[in-house]
Amino acid sequence: MKNISKNSMIAFGLLAIMGVFPFFANSAWIAIGTTFLVFSAVAFSQDIILGRAGAFHMGHAAFFGIGAYTTAILNVHFGWPILATWAPAVIIPVVIALLVTGPIIHLRGDYLLVATIGINIVFIQILENDLFGLTGGPNGIFGIEVIKVFGFEFFEQIHMYYLAFILLGITLFIMKSLDSSKFGRAMFYINKDDIAAQSMGISIRYYKLYAFAIGAGIAGAAGSMFAVQYSAVSPEAFNVLQSIMFFTIVLVGGSASLPGVLIGTFVMFILPEIFREFETARYLVFGVAMILTMILRPRGIWPVKFGNIPSFLKKDVK
Amino acid sequence: MSEYLLEIKNVSKFFYGLTAIDALSLKVKQGQIYGIIGPNGAGKTTLFNCITGIYTPEEGEILWKGKDIKGTPPHKIAELGILRTFQTIRLFAEMSVAENIMSGRHIKSKQKWYNGLIPTPAYYKDERENWEKVGELMEFFGLSQYATTPAGDLSYGVQRKIEMARALAAEPELLILDEPAAGLNENETIELAKTIREIRERGVTIMMIEHDMEMVMSLTEYITVINFGAKISAGVPAFVQDDPIVVEAYIGSDDEDE
Repeated sequence: MKNISKNSMIAFGLLAIMGVFPFFANSAWIAIGTTFLVFSAVAFSQDIILGRAGAFHMGHAAFFGIGAYTTAILNVHFGWPILATWAPAVIIPVVIALLVTGPIIHLRGDYLLVATIGINIVFIQILENDLFGLTGGPNGIFGIEVIKVFGFEFFEQIHMYYLAFILLGITLFIMKSLDSSKFGRAMFYINKDDIAAQSMGISIRYYKLYAFAIGAGIAGAAGSMFAVQYSAVSPEAFNVLQSIMFFTIVLVGGSASLPGVLIGTFVMFILPEIFREFETARYLVFGVAMILTMILRPRGIWPVKFGNIPSFLKKDVK
Repeated sequence: MSEYLLEIKNVSKFFYGLTAIDALSLKVKQGQIYGIIGPNGAGKTTLFNCITGIYTPEEGEILWKGKDIKGTPPHKIAELGILRTFQTIRLFAEMSVAENIMSGRHIKSKQKWYNGLIPTPAYYKDERENWEKVGELMEFFGLSQYATTPAGDLSYGVQRKIEMARALAAEPELLILDEPAAGLNENETIELAKTIREIRERGVTIMMIEHDMEMVMSLTEYITVINFGAKISAGVPAFVQDDPIVVEAYIGSDDEDE
């Protein structure tokens, strides 16, 4: 159980720190913390698809955006309360992910990568061309309401923070369930050797689509949070550059590695928020960091460790 | 139902006009240890790839218990009870030995789609049972001490065992071994032959490609000899061994190799 408890300890440690963080921070810092929690959830959902199933998916911002726009459109145009938009903000990305990746899921490596970039580009075009007058064109949608429950308004930053905190908690719970089930293992087997995996009776198509469905669902939920957090959505938050960032976080941090993905998210999204003065230089710094990581640590800053097996199987291990 | 477990009928496979397998036929009985031999490049592995669904032959039939399975995708073939090992070892190198063997339990696991998101009592029971099975197999193959070691870090001989354990974990009816003794030393080969017999005692039918003639002759009950994709001889080991056509094919191939 060594590896399980180590990862769980990191997860619990993180959750404990993040749980008390707002009591020691002002609202600007809590906003940065909220962003970190939301982007971490998206990065983990990318990690399910890329780090586990090994699908080179570079269009994840599209699913994040579909969740965000679902909440925005239903709330602003149709007057749904935010709470009621949560389920559609998860379900619609899942359905769309299955529909658009179904026909391309058999593509390997670089081919899938190009196809998923295409998905992201089409999504941005739809947003910018104001489809059915719903997406608001290049400016996006403004005036998304705050969450209301029984007349109580969750308008303070700390409320959003704890909602995002719960979202990350649920995401981590799903990741743990996945990793200790035949579904997560099947993804790793396909990732490491697809021919061997098939010969063991594992359907590559089924488990890759499964990864996309879960990934899109989590990204959609995070998108919904994102929309409420900023009370606005616009296309540039979900473009290919964002997808590249999520993709890079996983590879630089370490595929399928919990601490790796968190480090990646922190470096890519949070450091730039903290050091605003480096705004222009940041991409240069990150670009160099990406190159150096791939040369020096090709499996990521904090690579995943396997051997996640029940303790009764370890009695003979010396 | 057919009296044969597996029947290959006039199977041909072409690659860009080249004939890899040429109207090949053979029949494997339940409980047999069946050998396929032949010079390098004769089409033996191609035949195994056709049976396991990695390739689809252009002509002929592959009958599993009397039913044509030609064109069935590899993961469905495994579900039917046909499991294999690879000539070039294909393990999940970075993953531990136990996790590698667990991949064989995949088709036996009864976890539901939602168990990837949320555990249920039935899931815990299923997970425990499958890991226990992995434990039994590690003991059978003497792998328990390597349970947490990445498979890729172990010696060739141990990796071959892991591949067999992984295939056996799926409780196959037919186990297809592609050159199981390749790269093993003499002691390991003797041990392997013993293991293969023990596997058969468990009721598993075995089909194997092997170049180690001593092992093939002592272990198998029936042999088909392939050269240039076609069957050139078949029979019990003693017959095949003395068949002039077989001797010629091997000597000819040795000349080409050198």
